[in-house]
Amino acid sequence: MADHRQALPDGKWLDVDGVRTRYYDQGSGEAVVLIYGGNFGTSDSASSAYTWSSNLNALAKDFRVVCFDKLGQGFTDNPPDDDYTMRAVVRHAREFIGALKLPPVHLVGHSRGGYAAMRMALEDHDLVKSITIVNSGTLSPGVGTNEVVLSRPPFPRGTRECVRWVYENYSFAPAVVTEEWVDAVMETLALPKYQASIRKMEGEKLATKLFLPELARQKRDTLQWIAEGRLQRPVQVVWGFNDRTAVIERGIELFQLIAAHERRAQFHVINQSGHFPFREHPDRFNRLLAGFVAANS
Amino acid sequence: MQNLTRDTFTVKGAPAAVLRNAPARDPLIFIHGGIPGSSPYCSGVHIWGGVLDRLAAAHGVLAVDLPGHGETPAGAPTVDAYVEWMADFLSAAGIRSCFAIGHDLGGLVALELATRLPSLVRGISVVSSVALAPTGDGVENVTLAHPPVPLWTRNSQRWAFEQLSYAPDHITEDFLDACVAAAQQPPHRATAAAMRDGALDNEFIPSLMRAKGRFYELCRGPGIPVPVQVIWGSHDRLGSLDQALWLYRLVASRQTAAHFHVINRVGSFPFREDPHTFHQLINSFCEAVFPHTA
Repeated sequence: MADHRQALPDGKWLDVDGVRTRYYDQGSGEAVVLIYGGNFGTSDSASSAYTWSSNLNALAKDFRVVCFDKLGQGFTDNPPDDDYTMRAVVRHAREFIGALKLPPVHLVGHSRGGYAAMRMALEDHDLVKSITIVNSGTLSPGVGTNEVVLSRPPFPRGTRECVRWVYENYSFAPAVVTEEWVDAVMETLALPKYQASIRKMEGEKLATKLFLPELARQKRDTLQWIAEGRLQRPVQVVWGFNDRTAVIERGIELFQLIAAHERRAQFHVINQSGHFPFREHPDRFNRLLAGFVAANS
Repeated sequence: MQNLTRDTFTVKGAPAAVLRNAPARDPLIFIHGGIPGSSPYCSGVHIWGGVLDRLAAAHGVLAVDLPGHGETPAGAPTVDAYVEWMADFLSAAGIRSCFAIGHDLGGLVALELATRLPSLVRGISVVSSVALAPTGDGVENVTLAHPPVPLWTRNSQRWAFEQLSYAPDHITEDFLDACVAAAQQPPHRATAAAMRDGALDNEFIPSLMRAKGRFYELCRGPGIPVPVQVIWGSHDRLGSLDQALWLYRLVASRQTAAHFHVINRVGSFPFREDPHTFHQLINSFCEAVFPHTA
């Protein structure tokens, strides 16, 4: 088995409409853009481009692979004008792809990133060749169980123990949560700008006053658009079978919603995997993605 | 069929009809489905269609006519006998390591073969295998209840494939020619006669129930010893997505390398209706299971 546990090299930087954005851009060929999940201002977890560390290099052998830190996440600047909304996240992602002058891309979105990928495709079809959605409760109809599984961690927020507990509960095998992964999360959490986003989201309650209500509104018309058949791009829905936060039935419901209008829809399940199948079984995930991208190029 | 030729092996002194390309390492073994003399369509190597040729471009491919199909003489009409015959066949063909792809009943045969000979059958794809899925106290499935008679004529088989498909495009005249030819072969005629005379109810169905029982016992216990891929059509009228997911749950409970794939807008023959996606799924699974095939 290939060694996927290599830390990412130093990223590149791009000014996206005033937002300093950190990204990676490796390999050549069809452009694949990886969009991770999570959101700014959470104190017990923090995603960054590192989330794709088991995939970036492997996929870059066949494709041009781009992954970037979303607005307010990882090393990318926080939203201007305190616009802590998913709408701003999607706009930034779209402008980032535009600024890189990428050809139409294959979007791969995980969790909240799956929602962002789908919304981007629905708003700007010309940007997108295909979409891969991975364990996205944010996008799927039905009841999400994140809070059921992850509320009130038994460790102080922001500590290594807390971060580890959260990711272990997201995963099937606790061993997948390596020290390196925890390091990457802790590095993001320690950034002054990330601490500022925590103060906004948790301290000033922008999470419940702004982010979540706006996402819920947007999600309503996003699902409506999918149900109307507005997507019109090939989609594969990939699911880790043992995810307790976004259970398999939600993936099936999402697939059926998409497949009603889109012939080129596929549904794939990877066993013994929780919320992060591309980290728990990188070889299988990478093969699946490579096949789908090649078939829709 | 540029990459494939018909060939005959000798298994326990009797001929075994196959479709194959040049021998290669870790070939893909295709085991068709259908119950001879009972299913209203005639299965055999022809059922796989163009996907074999696609796969033969990068893999060794060997598709068999099970006993009672094509030119392979009939044997005992039981699942156990099919499994036994396949084991003998792999031995006769000199196969030491392979990946087996089974459609419908062939999925059950592939699974039993892998359970018995895991170092030989090192991974399996189970395709639209309603035979393996739990049915619980299901309601009667009437999809194939009233085929036009006489059975196994061109029109009757066309009807059966239309019932089992999302779209009829794959049911070409060439394909129906092959199905009608299979129906007229002595092995199919002999099996059909035997099934009509009681073999279906007295031998085949009991053997199927026993095999299913062994499968569920296996899933409660040590599990399937090799990687498994379950492939299903979104519009399979013989087995619902719910049944497919239950089958996958059983498989996945003990086998780490278990994948589940749903192909959209296809019925009970996903490899015929969407050979492109089927090809892609077999490739990505084989490459993950046997990294050297990449």
